[in-house]
Amino acid sequence: MAAIKAGRVLSLCRQFQKGLSISTVLPLQQTKVLTSCKAQLSAFRPKFCLLHINNMGTSLAQQCRALHTSQWRRGLEAFFDETPNWGEPTVKSGAPWTAKQLRTKSSEDLHKLWYVLLKEKNMLLTVEQEAKRQRVQMPSPERLRKIERSMKRLDTIVQERENALRLLQTGQERARPGTWRKDFFGRTFWYRFKEYPIPWYLNRRYKRKRFFTLKYVDSFIRRRIESHLHSKILKKKADLENKRKLQEKFSKLSATT
Amino acid sequence: MRLTALLAMAARVKVHPDYRYGTSRPWTVGAQRMNPPGKKRRKVFVEPIQPEDWSLFKGDTVEVLAGKDSGKQGKISQVIRARNWVILEGLNTHYRYIGKSGEYRGTYIASESPLLVREVALVDPSDRKPTQVEWRFTEEGERVRVSLRSGRILPKPVVQRRDGVVPEQWKDGPKDTSPDDALEKTYSASLKTFEEEIAEATGVVETRAGRRTFWY
Repeated sequence: MAAIKAGRVLSLCRQFQKGLSISTVLPLQQTKVLTSCKAQLSAFRPKFCLLHINNMGTSLAQQCRALHTSQWRRGLEAFFDETPNWGEPTVKSGAPWTAKQLRTKSSEDLHKLWYVLLKEKNMLLTVEQEAKRQRVQMPSPERLRKIERSMKRLDTIVQERENALRLLQTGQERARPGTWRKDFFGRTFWYRFKEYPIPWYLNRRYKRKRFFTLKYVDSFIRRRIESHLHSKILKKKADLENKRKLQEKFSKLSATT
Repeated sequence: MRLTALLAMAARVKVHPDYRYGTSRPWTVGAQRMNPPGKKRRKVFVEPIQPEDWSLFKGDTVEVLAGKDSGKQGKISQVIRARNWVILEGLNTHYRYIGKSGEYRGTYIASESPLLVREVALVDPSDRKPTQVEWRFTEEGERVRVSLRSGRILPKPVVQRRDGVVPEQWKDGPKDTSPDDALEKTYSASLKTFEEEIAEATGVVETRAGRRTFWY
């Protein structure tokens, strides 16, 4: 029992330390957070460190003590803005990344940029939450929107590249498999496949789904088609009426001017 | 549905086809009060002007041809395309109180009401009289507005950005990427997927084979 408990705490400590190891250091913070790390410097100035933690030979207490060193406290600074910006009503920020600029970057650079943007987003969300708590306006909320836009564009670029490669190698247009199916009400829809650990004939919940239509639904389907056609005709009539009214009102105007 | 798509849907304001656009933006409280969900009003017919034929921009000097302040010239402060409206600074005003609370009647201010584009005309800078304007192409191939009376080109007005940033005078902050770094090309086309390239770059070697899954 004690051994199991100790084992659980041990794994917990290891997880915490793993969370600590992947961190980016902004250039203004000159402190060396982690020793013995593989630093990869890039144009975007974040540093990625992969720390290999050797847990052999160290006692449980020593490992958990590592949680409460200055390393842990220094990591939390990333959630806050730089000290000169505290209390300012506005903080100036540059333009967001455009898709055109992001398309020229390698996968490694995009991967690093994603995490830089993520950390900035977390910092801004902290600022936003704190502003809500203090019931004051958040300084420069457009920064958050810029970050979100940049991240969305980055995701788009990665998807584009993935799509291109997949089309080239397999000819599949979609990343996620799917098919056209009819539901119980006779409506045709695009059913997107899900990933399961068991085959469909063993999946009781999947077998309860009905992708077929019974005979007694036919009259309802016919009524639905009729109503759809009727609404199309009504829309066409409404458009013509609208056009006629606009012609009546504004061709007179253009005739006089 | 994906969570991000759902949240984005909630943020965007959906307007029904017969929505009556006013001077307030659709997501503001005032606009929501004017157009509550069940309300139906008589339809306003807006003259269909093609986007390429639109010639009035924010910051242009125009003269009012009809209405209370006809004959006066003013600068456009807002353009509302949905109703073909133009709001000029300080012209065509009516007076009202704002900031009313309890017994206090509020501040008495002049608020401008919108004018239709047919009721205003662009002012030719050479003789400062109202003219009709046409879109034409210059020798270089640039599409410009030309006054029909004098043939002078009316340049598009330079408007200050809402955040007050002047791109020529911008100085990079500590978190900004320099223009050289931003434009630097590091991409080289390869047949590896994004995940494979990252794994190669970070030295991650995955030897485990995932368990067999079924897609249906």
